[in-house]
Amino acid sequence: MEETTFDVFARKNRGDALFHIGYIEAPDPAMARVYAWKTYDEENWFEMCIVPRSEILPVNRTDGPFAAGGRIGRSA
Amino acid sequence: MTSHDPGLPSATPETRAAFRRLILSLADSKRILGIRYSDWLLGAPSIEAGIAASSMAQDEWGHARLLYATLKDFDVDPVRIEHDRPAEAYASVDPLDAPLEDWAAVVAAMFIVDGALAAALEGVLEGGYESIGGRIGKMLGEEEFHASLAAAWAERLAGSEGEGRERFRGAVTAMLPGTLRFLAPDDDAHRALVMAGLTLSADELKGRFAEKVGGVLEGLGLTLEGAGDAEGEWDAGRGRGAGHPDEETIECARGDRNRALFVE
Repeated sequence: MEETTFDVFARKNRGDALFHIGYIEAPDPAMARVYAWKTYDEENWFEMCIVPRSEILPVNRTDGPFAAGGRIGRSA
Repeated sequence: MTSHDPGLPSATPETRAAFRRLILSLADSKRILGIRYSDWLLGAPSIEAGIAASSMAQDEWGHARLLYATLKDFDVDPVRIEHDRPAEAYASVDPLDAPLEDWAAVVAAMFIVDGALAAALEGVLEGGYESIGGRIGKMLGEEEFHASLAAAWAERLAGSEGEGRERFRGAVTAMLPGTLRFLAPDDDAHRALVMAGLTLSADELKGRFAEKVGGVLEGLGLTLEGAGDAEGEWDAGRGRGAGHPDEETIECARGDRNRALFVE
């Protein structure tokens, strides 16, 4: 089963900055939503969202953790 | 929607007993479902799926605890009901009587059993029993994530080819009859609840359930109407079939060994 890396972002309160809190791997976005919510449920998040890592576009460097996209560079 | 006072003081004894049966059967089902999910903390297809199973197990146990606490309205001691009953007294939904043998069965339980329990909770919420309404709203909020995960996995398995699909189809086929009979009982107790406005009719509950599962069932070539009759005699006292969960599971639910050492 092919899996995609999704990065997880969340904020604790309305108006807080959105932080990168981790990543999960899932076969599709529907499963990824639940995995993210259930994996990072230690806080009472105001908002959480996920992004397929392959959709994140590096801006200033080509060797950063997000640069490779997909399943490579999972330590972001 | 009519609001109903705690303990249903103006209801008939039959209606009070029927509502107690409904709440206990939902509480027991959630307790056993939590155990069945927790069996898959290890062995799930991915670490994320195992974490989700773990989290859903916690949700179900929390829901069970809240539902057991509601029984105080009916002069039932929640501590005794949680820790002093034999397996034969459990009123949990029939398809959870045995452990889930593979991930396809876990997904079927998420989709069919958990979906039916959510439909039953919606019925209780709309029935307006006052002391439980807020709690059920919170439960149904958590259940939205269970339903999302169940739907995603169910659609994936139903749309696949080969063994995964067949195992899932087999598990769904096996769970449907007992689940439907549990959700929409054709007996006097359920009719008393409907007459009192404390839950939805059998047809309405089946309709709610169909909205949740109908699309995937169609993809599997199954229908609710063709589910067939549940096995075993109906036990009107518990609101389920004549069987019961295995004794080992109930020992775990009661916490027998360690409770004797550390609590009592």
